[in-house]
Amino acid sequence: MIRYECFEWLAPLMTDQLVVTSLSGQRVEWGHLSKREADLNLGSMGNALAVAIGLALALPHRKVFVFESDGSVLLSLFNLPTLANLNPSNMAVFVFDNQAYSGTRISYPSATAGKTDLAAVAKGSGIEHSVTVSKLEDFKREATAALSEPGLRFVVCKIEESLGHRQITRSDVDLVETKYRFVRYLERTEGKAIFQGRG
Amino acid sequence: MKAELANRTVAALKDAGINFVSYMPETRLSEILPVMKVDGSFTLVPVASEAEAVGIAAGAALGGKRAAVYMEGTGLFVSTYNLLTIGERYGVPILLLIAYVGSFEDQRNSYLFSHYGNKTKGILETLGIQYLTVASANELETRIKDAVRMMHALKLPVALLFTGEFTE
Repeated sequence: MIRYECFEWLAPLMTDQLVVTSLSGQRVEWGHLSKREADLNLGSMGNALAVAIGLALALPHRKVFVFESDGSVLLSLFNLPTLANLNPSNMAVFVFDNQAYSGTRISYPSATAGKTDLAAVAKGSGIEHSVTVSKLEDFKREATAALSEPGLRFVVCKIEESLGHRQITRSDVDLVETKYRFVRYLERTEGKAIFQGRG
Repeated sequence: MKAELANRTVAALKDAGINFVSYMPETRLSEILPVMKVDGSFTLVPVASEAEAVGIAAGAALGGKRAAVYMEGTGLFVSTYNLLTIGERYGVPILLLIAYVGSFEDQRNSYLFSHYGNKTKGILETLGIQYLTVASANELETRIKDAVRMMHALKLPVALLFTGEFTE
């Protein structure tokens, strides 16, 4: 399964869902295909799950998707027990697991290429719906359910390492602009002020 | 922390608009948590690491909550990366309620804490995080109000370092 194909299929189906992305090539690919105000690109590893938890708690009526990587989740495993116990029914996590230190350009195998099973770690942490998919049809099934049904989902997507994102022109929308675009979108759609303070 | 100070701290946070607190409890300020629970106007989120407390508070703040993180001073060292990547670089208003362990005024200071305490302000300054020390009950409400005002003005994390009377 190729990550870009998953995103190509999913992007046109998104409406008002919030999407939080971390750092790997998914950030580039999703940003290229989506370009939605509801997308929050964090541009860092180890933060997406936590930020998404905060968003899901603050806006329980909005669905929050998280696109993570194996490396980013391994960097923040402490999120999993917290997520399990909070159990936000409006959150769906998709971990694109290429089983490699891919961004390093040497592609050495990561822990998930060895003995580590992230879905089992999530399950052991208490996340009941924690599964691994490796075929596009199975990804579509999980994503369709995430779009239409409540309930916390943790889906590890085993993907081939792909370097296609390196051919995509990087966005010139920096992190601060991304934040303001996202916040202004929420202010407009939620009808409330997010940031306080006027000049 | 004396019950009266815990009550006043929570009341001041509420008056300042704080309504979301992610927390890793510790020994000096923990009495604020049952007061917050009874009050009922705070979303309280226990965490496994101060690192995720920062991220969760940031997400809540971006979703419209007035967010704080309550942690021990040692947690500042655990969450430095997250404060930099999400708090400072992204620019998210978060109030940091920090038990300033190992400071001069820390009434329970010992060799366990002093090596953290003497580097706490240096870490905050390196991160570009503004801070106020709260050592006396006389200044409690004013300091909380000032810190929250600064947090919204900067759209950055701002820290309150609780020591002195708050560590008895």
